[in-house]
Amino acid sequence: MIGNQVALVRRELWEHRSLYVVPAVLGLVLVMGAVTGQVTISGFGTHVDMALLGATNIGVNERGAGLSLLLAAFAGLFVIAMWILTVFYSLDSLYAERKDKSILFWRSMPVTDAETVVSKLLTALVVIPIVTLAFIALTELLVLLVTSIWVGLRGADAWHLIWAAVPLVDNWSATLLVVLAVSLWLAPFVGWFLLVSAYTKRSPLLMAVLPIILLPMLERIIFGSNLLSEAIYSRTSSIPIFKGYDGLELFDNHSLLEAAKEGISLVSLLDIGKFLSSPGLWVGLVVCGLFTTAAMYVRRFRDES
Amino acid sequence: MSSVVIAQNVSKAFGSTKAVDNVSFTIEKGRITGLIGPNGAGKTTLLKAVLGLTDCQGSLTVLGLDPFRQRKELMRNICFIADVAVLPRWIRVSQMLDFVEAVHPNFSRKKAEELLSETKVRATAKVRELSKGMVTQLHLSIITAINAKLLILDEPTLGLDIIFRKEFYGNLLNDYFDGERTIVITTHQVEEIENLLTDVMFINDGRIVLNASMDALPEQFAELMTSGENADEARKLGPIFEREVFGKNVLTFDGVNREKLSPFGEVRTPDVADLFVAKVKGVA
Repeated sequence: MIGNQVALVRRELWEHRSLYVVPAVLGLVLVMGAVTGQVTISGFGTHVDMALLGATNIGVNERGAGLSLLLAAFAGLFVIAMWILTVFYSLDSLYAERKDKSILFWRSMPVTDAETVVSKLLTALVVIPIVTLAFIALTELLVLLVTSIWVGLRGADAWHLIWAAVPLVDNWSATLLVVLAVSLWLAPFVGWFLLVSAYTKRSPLLMAVLPIILLPMLERIIFGSNLLSEAIYSRTSSIPIFKGYDGLELFDNHSLLEAAKEGISLVSLLDIGKFLSSPGLWVGLVVCGLFTTAAMYVRRFRDES
Repeated sequence: MSSVVIAQNVSKAFGSTKAVDNVSFTIEKGRITGLIGPNGAGKTTLLKAVLGLTDCQGSLTVLGLDPFRQRKELMRNICFIADVAVLPRWIRVSQMLDFVEAVHPNFSRKKAEELLSETKVRATAKVRELSKGMVTQLHLSIITAINAKLLILDEPTLGLDIIFRKEFYGNLLNDYFDGERTIVITTHQVEEIENLLTDVMFINDGRIVLNASMDALPEQFAELMTSGENADEARKLGPIFEREVFGKNVLTFDGVNREKLSPFGEVRTPDVADLFVAKVKGVA
């Protein structure tokens, strides 16, 4: 069972090369930006040149905060890319094998339909976030390395100014928790995409998006209520993981910078208990489970002729 | 115990059309059965039911398992080629071997690599880069390297040239068939596999119209080549089908003693393709 999952998930990575090519390209662009001096630390409210980082009048907390903000901005870009990839991956995952007619080959192997669908769900919810995190960490290391060279060339002590100030482990831990939480929080969408992917005969993207737009409209017309649109909107606009905040406004009003300036770790801004005990998470996972089970049944019972 | 497939009153309907209509048969271990029928006769549906790819009514047991409900267990001991070129186009040959090795307990990678080394298929190539014939070679190499009890081939050589088709069946007999394994083949090119088969099963409109061992065919069926008055006399013996070849009448008989026929002309055993036409088009 576990051996099969490893083989199946590896298969997904072979087929969907974009899952690592896209973050690799994004990382490369950012590293190139650092090499050419395009990426600067802009977390101090004003545009700050690399040389300023070497200025001794900025304390270690401010330097750490600036670097944290830079890294958080990188991570944000990767998380956006990750979500676009996840949408396209899950829509393609059970559709491509029917379109290229290889489904009969896959089904000629001693693997159940449930195992296959689970491997795709695992890839979307766990493997993609972990791959993303790996590219985030690698990109950050390379950018910091390049920045160190910049700083070093100006005669400053990069080890002291950058590596001693940046809370890398804390940043990465927070990033890992956030990417996994985002995946779990948005799991009902992944489940829905898998079902559409298993079911639709054409244009999975359209077939997945149309009901999300039309059903709330119908609800409003027929029942005069907004339950569906609120459920969908609240899920895509907020996630109950940040301490004291419901949504992503943490990143809007410089709260992060303020917190970081005081030397507070990013992990301590996260409230895992609140996230894990939020009913929205579990309702979402149940919805995801129902859609995924439906996808398994569609794959099993559908007759591809 | 030695029956590999046991079907009793198996039916499968799509809407109001019955693709498979109340079919019963058994396939014994070590046989090579040709499942022969026109397009839309229900061959593929029947094979899909045997492979557990589709549900059906009636009782169907394959290697002692319920194929639809125990597909995973079944697939450890069954191989099938559903059609040529159904391998995923994006995969590399080496990845394909990695995958099958990981999920299939009865797969011998060494054997597959040996077989592939005799072909032009390179391990680093992607399936999309291979010709149709090479894809089939790859598929067949993988299947041959799986120690399965039952092999099902549904039109395995469709779209391949004649040299490759001959090689395919030659390899099938030499590398695969060892008397322990059981093979079921469907094809339109009956004449190419006729010598291979131990059994034939004709299917038409979802029903089995003939299920016989190749050895039994000469006893049951005879073809009389005759003309003129002899033909009129022979017709009284109740041929199941009649056709004309070079101005001569060829009459096919089911269960008529050859000694009764020989006075009217030349008697021989019909080949499978002619017999098939007689059984399907003739009034049985």
